[in-house]
Amino acid sequence: MPAIAFLFLLICAWLSGVGLLRLFHLRLKPAYTHTLAVMLGVAAASFIPFLLQLCYIPLNGTTVFGALFLSALLLNIPAFLDIRKQGLRPFLHSQRPHFQLFRRGHVWPKAYEIPYWLVLGFLIFVSVWRCYYLPPTSRDALSGPEAIAEYAVREQTMINSFFDVDLWSTNNQFKSPFLISLQLIYKLAGFPFGQVWLSLLFICFTVFLYHALKERLHPLLAGLLLLLFTMCPEIYAYSFMILYDYSNMVFFFLGLYFLFRDPAAIGPAAPAPSPHASSSLSFAGLLLGIATYIRSETVILVGLLLPAILLMQWRKTPRSIKKIAIADALFLLPSLIAYYLQTNLYIQHYLPVHYNIGSLVNNHLENWSPLFQRYRDIITVLLFGTFATQLWGYIFYLFITLFVAELIFIRRLNRIARNWLYAMLALYLALGALGFTLPMFNLLETTKRALFKLMPLVLLYLANNELLLRLSGRIARWEMSGSPASHPAPAVAISKIKKKGQKK
Amino acid sequence: MKVFLLTLASAFLVILLINVGYYGVWFREKPRSYWFSFLKEKDDTTAEEGIKNARYGISYTISMRVKAFLEKKRLPNAIVLFEPNSYYRDSLHIYNSVRAPEPAVFYYYTGLTGVWTNSPDVNKANFIVHITRTKGVTIEEIHTPERLQQILAGFKKYPPIL
Repeated sequence: MPAIAFLFLLICAWLSGVGLLRLFHLRLKPAYTHTLAVMLGVAAASFIPFLLQLCYIPLNGTTVFGALFLSALLLNIPAFLDIRKQGLRPFLHSQRPHFQLFRRGHVWPKAYEIPYWLVLGFLIFVSVWRCYYLPPTSRDALSGPEAIAEYAVREQTMINSFFDVDLWSTNNQFKSPFLISLQLIYKLAGFPFGQVWLSLLFICFTVFLYHALKERLHPLLAGLLLLLFTMCPEIYAYSFMILYDYSNMVFFFLGLYFLFRDPAAIGPAAPAPSPHASSSLSFAGLLLGIATYIRSETVILVGLLLPAILLMQWRKTPRSIKKIAIADALFLLPSLIAYYLQTNLYIQHYLPVHYNIGSLVNNHLENWSPLFQRYRDIITVLLFGTFATQLWGYIFYLFITLFVAELIFIRRLNRIARNWLYAMLALYLALGALGFTLPMFNLLETTKRALFKLMPLVLLYLANNELLLRLSGRIARWEMSGSPASHPAPAVAISKIKKKGQKK
Repeated sequence: MKVFLLTLASAFLVILLINVGYYGVWFREKPRSYWFSFLKEKDDTTAEEGIKNARYGISYTISMRVKAFLEKKRLPNAIVLFEPNSYYRDSLHIYNSVRAPEPAVFYYYTGLTGVWTNSPDVNKANFIVHITRTKGVTIEEIHTPERLQQILAGFKKYPPIL
């Protein structure tokens, strides 16, 4: 029974995600389309029980699964309209490129990708098993969202008897309904511990990331970087232990990825920018909105991205102020709505217990020394040193080494690398400021987990590091020399080969 | 031939990575050890309860013993007082191995109401869970308000902590 329910949920997630991608006119490679569709679908599902709850509809199998199916259908209305206009056969024909997953050179790995995927597959398998087999364990989940979800299944409402208990020792009941909703759905599907949705995110994100890296680097380097990321001990642990930070990292990264793809916003990261560039910006806004729904403080990061977007829009594109304002409003709107839904509507006006967020703010904001101390601690405790190695492995050391080497030997940073570095800096500044403003945003727990978001940015910076790009180009040239090109080498490598040929 | 050489290179990098420095330690202690756990777990017929018992440890075991005790006594509406964790830390020195569950987690485990010494409903407590080095876990029924006040006074210097 859980297997059938899981299949149903997977199909609903994929359908919802495909519908959303279609709404934004995004035409992506199959590997991106399907992984992104499932991730988006999981995020869309996380709104459903929450919205049912807001409408006081009882949460049971019929209402929740019915609403999931209905939302998947509603998100695909444009597809149904296309079918009506074109007919089923031409419509299916037009969708063929999305399903040519196994066309030669698209997904079939080359032999040298297999060793990486053997280890990655092993890590994924172990993570998925633990996600399925073991109950949620983190105290933050047990004293809040997990307990609320468990009693929501029994009492058909998120406002349940859990709120009658003495909640002095916890504030986890005020966290986002993202986790409660997904736990509720998967518990209703017959998984006693819920959680398996996290495996969907983990698998899809890993595959997405690999393809994103392969766009820039030879698979030999892309696989190595991906393995370095997956083997970040702390992040890996949260791939099977439900909490907010892993999912927040996924959607924050995806938001930035699509933001940097939009040439009108910050500059083209993709080799071939989408013809619907501005929809890429609003799609990035949607993804960052999901990240904000998961962790409300993400709204600050979204705000910090805006000055850079405005500056580049102003410099690069001859758009009118009105067009820029509309594009940026569409970019910001999902995050603002998500923030309002979670902190104002849900916490302030819906939950039976109240939370005075104002009382959490530091009373001594005039004393800045804790701010500088926090910035120092993030560097010395969380990013470098023995403890940092236990959290992230050596990935940050690799980043610093290659960053410094790039500054010394290349003496310039390409635009895409600058984008990712800007995002890293914005994150670092925001986390320090949050720790200073909200004393509950402590160093060793909250800030540590918030730093998950930094690691995929590090990875994408490395994928655009000029030294690695040159090494990648050399490997690709060596591999392709003397043999017909059978593998689509990274776009960067190909462009370099072409340039070299032109010079000759 | 070139693909073969690249395959050798990637295999070498993978082997190096999962053995070098902290990655080696982590890989042995975590994913590899999880794999051996999987080999046992896949054939294990332990029900949900057994898995929770193994995963949550002593705090869960204590909670379920309290639940079993109260079910036996047919007292589903009992309010259970837990000793402060600072008492286990500063007086009994068993804090590293034993922790009283916080009321929210106790409710999640058992569906029963638990209170700490600073809870608003502490005056309604009619059972207390004692944990000692010699006797282990014992449950005492609190018969009179005087006895409850006596217990609370005894814990005054031990503030509730997680």
